[in-house]
Amino acid sequence: MHTLLDDYAQCNALKDVSPKVKLLLGLGSILICISSSTPAAPLFVAVSMSVIIVGIARVPVRFYAKLLLIPLSFALLSSAVVAFMHGTGTPVFSLSVLGLDLSVRDDGARLAALLIARTLGGMCSLFFIALTTPMIEIFSVLKSIRVPEVLLELSMMIYRYIFVFLDQAAMIHNAQTMRLGDSSLRTSVNSFAMLCSVLFLQAWEQGERLIVAMDARCYDGRLDLLHQSSRTSARSVMIVLAYLSVALAVAVLTREYQLL
Amino acid sequence: MTAILEARNIHHAYQDGPESLKGVDVSIDQGRKIALVGPNGAGKSTLMLMFNGILRPSRGEIAFKGMPLKYDSRSLREIRGKVGMVFQNPDDQIFAPTVYQDIAFGPSNLGFSKEKIDRYVSYALSYVGLSGYEKRPPHHLSGGEKKRVAIAGVLAMEPEVMILDEPTSNLDPASSEEIMDMLDELNCGRKTIIISTHDVELAYRWADLVLLMENGGLLRSGPPAEIFSDQDLVARARMKPPLIVEIYRELALRGVLNGQSPPENVVGLTDLIETCARGRVKRDRLGRIYLCNAERSPPEEIRALIRRADVDYVGAMGSSAKVMAEREKIRLDFTYGVIDKSILKALVGRSTLLITSGGMVDHALRRVEAYSREAGVRLDVQLMGRTAEHEDGKR
Repeated sequence: MHTLLDDYAQCNALKDVSPKVKLLLGLGSILICISSSTPAAPLFVAVSMSVIIVGIARVPVRFYAKLLLIPLSFALLSSAVVAFMHGTGTPVFSLSVLGLDLSVRDDGARLAALLIARTLGGMCSLFFIALTTPMIEIFSVLKSIRVPEVLLELSMMIYRYIFVFLDQAAMIHNAQTMRLGDSSLRTSVNSFAMLCSVLFLQAWEQGERLIVAMDARCYDGRLDLLHQSSRTSARSVMIVLAYLSVALAVAVLTREYQLL
Repeated sequence: MTAILEARNIHHAYQDGPESLKGVDVSIDQGRKIALVGPNGAGKSTLMLMFNGILRPSRGEIAFKGMPLKYDSRSLREIRGKVGMVFQNPDDQIFAPTVYQDIAFGPSNLGFSKEKIDRYVSYALSYVGLSGYEKRPPHHLSGGEKKRVAIAGVLAMEPEVMILDEPTSNLDPASSEEIMDMLDELNCGRKTIIISTHDVELAYRWADLVLLMENGGLLRSGPPAEIFSDQDLVARARMKPPLIVEIYRELALRGVLNGQSPPENVVGLTDLIETCARGRVKRDRLGRIYLCNAERSPPEEIRALIRRADVDYVGAMGSSAKVMAEREKIRLDFTYGVIDKSILKALVGRSTLLITSGGMVDHALRRVEAYSREAGVRLDVQLMGRTAEHEDGKR
């Protein structure tokens, strides 16, 4: 079995905090990150979120760091492109490749830094939600803000069966590698195509078995998945609001200040 | 006893294929434990799906309590509320993202109120020994736990008949025994249980009626000892005889044993071998069996009893007893087949404390009394504390 984000969402130290509060914190921070005009506020969010995730929610540092590497590598690559392609102003750094003059100008550098900071801040906030809030609780919040039932019911079933199919995909993959299905690029591509088609068929059959099983429990087209709601404490809301105001203050106060 | 489910000359074919059922006649009495046994493709699953109207026979009819099954949506709802079906693979059945939501699915389809649903869900969960698992997502459960959730999902609809397709497949031995123990407990609560299985040992030990199927038809039905001692029948149905039957048969051929039919279980077999080898054995010291009701006896009383020198083993039967033992950190020596084990131990002079769930006290008493009568020994059963009061009050 793999360790999934979902495993931490189920058993982190913050799992009993109301999902509304956690969503407020996560989404609020994302908004502040993307509306800030300098890297300071997003960096503040990134650092504080990481501290919350590792320190308070008790998600292992190694796991979290590995997780963060994924968006970070994307952010670094794309901001490098932005840095070279964008902007006017004095060149900060230049090099020539095969007679081609490439230079990073301070405008571009600033934008690249902002891009990295925003990505980092946004991803940390998103990981905060993903690592501390089980999907089921997000569903119940969605229900309380009146997202259409059909969408919710579908997402719930999809969520449940993602794990079933994940297991099946892992089993098929094992069966393939066991018989050297990944020995060359060609066979890997072939194996992957087979995995996809078999998984599709299995999903289809699973659906048919599911409807039989639901019929056996008197399914009549109406799916009332009942929720057990949790309470939101005033104290936690206050803490979150205080945090968001600090982040916002950082964003506003550093509005004029540029790193370069 | 009255027949609760009947199949009358059932034929069925899957879409132009060959007939998968070719005229099956079965009558199932209320409160029995039935095992459907047969090779792959014999039509066991098809027959099971007939019993609550998921498949419709192309010829013949299914009857519930004498009334032929109708296939309009109202009648189907009704029959599915009374005849519950647990599928072989729990992942086919558990579709909701949390345990609570999945178990609440059936009762909410039956139109129960919120309070009633809550009550039924927590009852079903405590019955299968998974109280406190409400918020867990199914993919965080082990195979045995998933099976229990699947059973609870059907149990919460309060069916009179429970049908389980291969209830012990993919489970480790202890988990399977615990599931079978739970089915016994349900059966004590007057539910009719039908299982399908390839496991001859299980069918032999557990069922009181075996339906042997082969090639879309019913080959024979009867008590397990009768079905499994017929060698030709067993070979024809691609089964093998249970170990007890085989040992009995070989020892009988060597002239060591004599008896009309193979013993039902280990207790019977050991007794038979002993009497044939040594004649009637006079036992000077028999162990005792202490019985206590987990729901009535306070844990301190049970602990005090265990500390007493003459309790050698502790066994628990029924989910509530096991949950109680776990909560109170009482170490259990036996968690399944406990009555027979306590009898075996009593015969060699050891005493056992049996912690049982409420409904099973009488069952345990009856079983020990029946054994005492049959074997001509007097086993001493002591009802403990409030368990005794409760039983006396009833008489």
